[in-house]
Amino acid sequence: MTTEAPSYPFAWEPPMQVPQALQGLHDKSAVQVTLPSGDKALLVTRYRDVRSLFADHRLSRNIARPDAARISADNDLFTNPHIDPDPPKHTQVRSLVTRAFTARRIEGLRPVAQEITDELLDAMEAGPRPAELNEAFAFPLPIRVICKLLGIPPEDRSHFRASVDGFLSVSKLPPEEVAKARGDLFRYLAELIESKRAEPGDDLISALIKVRDEDDNRLNDHELHFWVTGLLIAGYVTTASQIGTGTAVLLHHPELVKEIRDDWSLVPSAVEELLRTQIMGSSVGTLRYAIDDIPLTDGSVITKGTSVLLSEEAANMDPEVFDRPFEIDIRRTENHHMTFGAGLHYCVGAALARMELQVATESLLRRFPDLRLAVPGDQLPRALGGFMEGFTEVPVEW
Amino acid sequence: MVMRVAANRETCVVSSLCVYRAPTVFAQDDDLGQVVVLDEEPGDELHAAVRRAARGCPTKSIKVTEPDGSTVASAFDFD
Repeated sequence: MTTEAPSYPFAWEPPMQVPQALQGLHDKSAVQVTLPSGDKALLVTRYRDVRSLFADHRLSRNIARPDAARISADNDLFTNPHIDPDPPKHTQVRSLVTRAFTARRIEGLRPVAQEITDELLDAMEAGPRPAELNEAFAFPLPIRVICKLLGIPPEDRSHFRASVDGFLSVSKLPPEEVAKARGDLFRYLAELIESKRAEPGDDLISALIKVRDEDDNRLNDHELHFWVTGLLIAGYVTTASQIGTGTAVLLHHPELVKEIRDDWSLVPSAVEELLRTQIMGSSVGTLRYAIDDIPLTDGSVITKGTSVLLSEEAANMDPEVFDRPFEIDIRRTENHHMTFGAGLHYCVGAALARMELQVATESLLRRFPDLRLAVPGDQLPRALGGFMEGFTEVPVEW
Repeated sequence: MVMRVAANRETCVVSSLCVYRAPTVFAQDDDLGQVVVLDEEPGDELHAAVRRAARGCPTKSIKVTEPDGSTVASAFDFD
């Protein structure tokens, strides 16, 4: 080993540009990186390898092992000893959840998302300028939609937001604050589950409780709690961050905004391209453990016992698959990016996220014909030390 | 010869991508939301959308046999 393993996640510097560390990363299938915990892991970079490894049973998601790398020294996220994250158990439990995310169910939520959007944009228009887009719109929209889907009362929304921030801290907060946030969130959700059990509603949490109480073999208490937490967190932080960050990137490229305004049918492909190029989080959440040797496309081998990260952002920039990968092209048609993963663990909420991003992008641009960034794009601050890397503030003017 | 479409429900993870890409060819069942093929021999005008659905399926659960007998199994299947 002659070179030092670079730190991962890679830095967004300047903040509007895809990390320079991703350039030329595809000459080999994988590179060694250093995680925030200081532990080493192998970062897989080529699209072909990433895509097939997402579906490879020789990579276990169970990283609660003594010799597995840790993401963070201060937060044992993803190492819940009560949860089996591998098939066949994981697949059975997952299917109880995915049935709530079919195209028909998501399209049923589209008018709900539109109504919430219109309300938030009314308030933003009537409020002070410049407005901070994350606070005024990007965060409230997905929070309200996921609360509706899960059956969380509107008055509870503010309770869990700070806890979620702590829950997702990698190096941002000290360990005691992370522990407190995790404890708060755990207690809040335990109470919520109990109140739903007493008074079920027409929502996903109530539906999961019903499955749990009818048959303990299909879903136990740990799994119920784990999935509700995951749905709540993944259901909004990611989409919220992508709405704010994706909009900022669009506004930083007025020529793209004009293209969309001239042809609104481009909204879905623009949303996909922003998902491909502007991943608002790194791939630390993909950490896996090799339970066998696995050959890669460059002829090298992941040896048994290695901790592995599947780099969605590097796969999305692979020149073998994406023509001019570092260029934002909102007209790409074959845009099978890895932002939602692939295989058995493909993001449960992908269709929901896509729907919300489409509604948000089109509604914002239609409502404010002169929407623009209130500060230069390259001065927008990016989040550090957490799972999310999107812009923390997006001041806009119109 | 015609294009033929088949889907593997066992491996479907309910991404819903195929339903959005070719809604007259793919649907989802009422129970677990897994893929159902509505049109096993889609007409020419649907071929491009069906190929895109097959390439984009995150679990390679859609198999398309082209009129010439070749198959589209998934995105960028290099090997």
